[in-house]
Amino acid sequence: MAVVYEFVWRMLHALLHLQRTLLSWFRIRIWNWTWRLWRRAVAAVLVPAVFGFQNHPHNNKKLVPTGCKKSCCRVLWKSDGKSLEKLPLHIGLLIAEEEPRYTDIANLVVWCMAVGISYVSVYDNQGIFRRNNSRLMDEILKQQQELLGLDSLKYSVEFLNNSTDKPEQQVLSCQATVKVLSPDDGKRGIVTAAQKFCQLVEQQQKRSTDLDVNMLDSLLRGTKGVPDPDLVMKFGTVASTLGFLPWHIRLTEIISLPSHINITYEHFFSALKCYAGCEQRLGK
Amino acid sequence: MSWIRKGELTLIERLSANILKAGPMPKHVAFIMDGNRRYARKLHVERQQGHTQGFDKLAETLRWCLNLEIREVTVYAFSIENFKRAKDEVDGLMELARQKFSRLLDEQEDLEKHGVCIRVLGDLTLLPLDIQKLIAQAVLATKNHNKCFLNVCFAYTSRHEITNAVKEAAWGVEQGLIKPCDVSEFLLDECLYTSNSPDPDLLIRTSGEVRLSDFLLWQTTYSCLVFQSILWPEYSFWNLCEAILQYQLNHHALQKARDLHAEARVLRQLEADRCCAAELLQQTGLGKPLDPQLRQEAVQKYTAEREGRVHSFLTALQEKRDRFFTDLNKGSIASAKA
Repeated sequence: MAVVYEFVWRMLHALLHLQRTLLSWFRIRIWNWTWRLWRRAVAAVLVPAVFGFQNHPHNNKKLVPTGCKKSCCRVLWKSDGKSLEKLPLHIGLLIAEEEPRYTDIANLVVWCMAVGISYVSVYDNQGIFRRNNSRLMDEILKQQQELLGLDSLKYSVEFLNNSTDKPEQQVLSCQATVKVLSPDDGKRGIVTAAQKFCQLVEQQQKRSTDLDVNMLDSLLRGTKGVPDPDLVMKFGTVASTLGFLPWHIRLTEIISLPSHINITYEHFFSALKCYAGCEQRLGK
Repeated sequence: MSWIRKGELTLIERLSANILKAGPMPKHVAFIMDGNRRYARKLHVERQQGHTQGFDKLAETLRWCLNLEIREVTVYAFSIENFKRAKDEVDGLMELARQKFSRLLDEQEDLEKHGVCIRVLGDLTLLPLDIQKLIAQAVLATKNHNKCFLNVCFAYTSRHEITNAVKEAAWGVEQGLIKPCDVSEFLLDECLYTSNSPDPDLLIRTSGEVRLSDFLLWQTTYSCLVFQSILWPEYSFWNLCEAILQYQLNHHALQKARDLHAEARVLRQLEADRCCAAELLQQTGLGKPLDPQLRQEAVQKYTAEREGRVHSFLTALQEKRDRFFTDLNKGSIASAKA
């Protein structure tokens, strides 16, 4: 009898895996098709709006220069951000997939900045991004140029490196802060804060009973003052936070997307719309 | 037993359970039982009714878990944040707790027969004294049962729990039992309210919300998170099976991530021990021995001493925790005799 149950179990899981693969394939095709239609529609409306209507019909047949396409996208993304009921102040991009694609992650970061999100954290549970910090930063700067064009200076990025408190790049007007995280920032961060407090107790500068949630929170936050993530977008089929900032995610909405590979703006924005619809009662 | 519904699975449920059990099964499941009030609104009944139905659903779910051989269940019954609710709702929930814990004490024989161990996790000093005493009695009466475990998080938030764990470690330093550098992930694990339980394999939240709401944040870092849109009082056996299937689909990937983390933890501890041993040798004026064999022996000696300190500290901590419940219980016996 046990053999029969096992056989049925294997068939069930094979079917579920097949369903997941098919759904993922369909989703990508449908999203890409919908996104192409949407872009064409927007280009048709916004390009004349941005550059003014012209009476000469043959002008409209000219190819729209790349700069104009980037302007459309920028305007669109900014207005998308404003159209939402609420936008996260801090978003965590949790890449729960084996092999990250830097270009796609850079696109996500740039979209976050373009819609008006102030803090973006990028995380994977193997510490790949932390070890390849500069490669990711370079890719983000490149995509910023690519997607936002000439006005990329307005969307300046501050990269927070955890080893020092000083930002890696000083910029004139800071629009967004990008942080690269690894599992070391999670439980290990709490252990380090605990050791610091215990040292103060050993030196009799504090008593054990002095500690409360707010004090531990400030020990963990340090001087950078980055707010808790309001939203974590998890990419990949693994249903777990995989060690992402356990202390900081107490009220964070966790929205899952199947993959970050070839992720489209539409797909990203639909997750933001989902977040905008969440209601938090805070225990009440 | 009022806390675990009597009854067996139907034929189809039994067949499905047997199929599921052919694969890896979670040993410890945590529930955020959300949606009681929305259920009450949906049915146009009082909120209190919603909470009562929610408790009945808990009893039913515990029965299903036993049928599925899930031996440990943790539930988020009342958050510290819930004290912010309207006074009549909080009073109603406290009254429900009073009734259910009192009923539990009347069923001690049944609890013994089924080997049910009840633990209540949270900052119990925030609760009315009579409820604290009822809880103490229930916890002490079932302390040595070991067939299945029910952890009820009451007056609980994860941040309070983690803060309390750090406070306990600091208390250990104050008492001279441990040093600050002895504080590690393992030590904090043992200082949490959940120190007697393994981390949950599966966390289920009902009612469609997709957040953890300050529940087991430390313990669920590598748990399978399943968010289901059904309201808690409407939860069914099939919803539970669906969640277990999700767990099975994620099992391999999560095990891999957990193993990676455990490996990194061991290496970090070894590195920390090496640094501390070297520092100690420096302080004692012996300097860094050139012989790797001597260095290795110094590290092993340091590790053994550290583990000894941690062991003494954890024993003292356990005694402190037991004293809290026995003192409360003494109080109840004294007032019963008076």
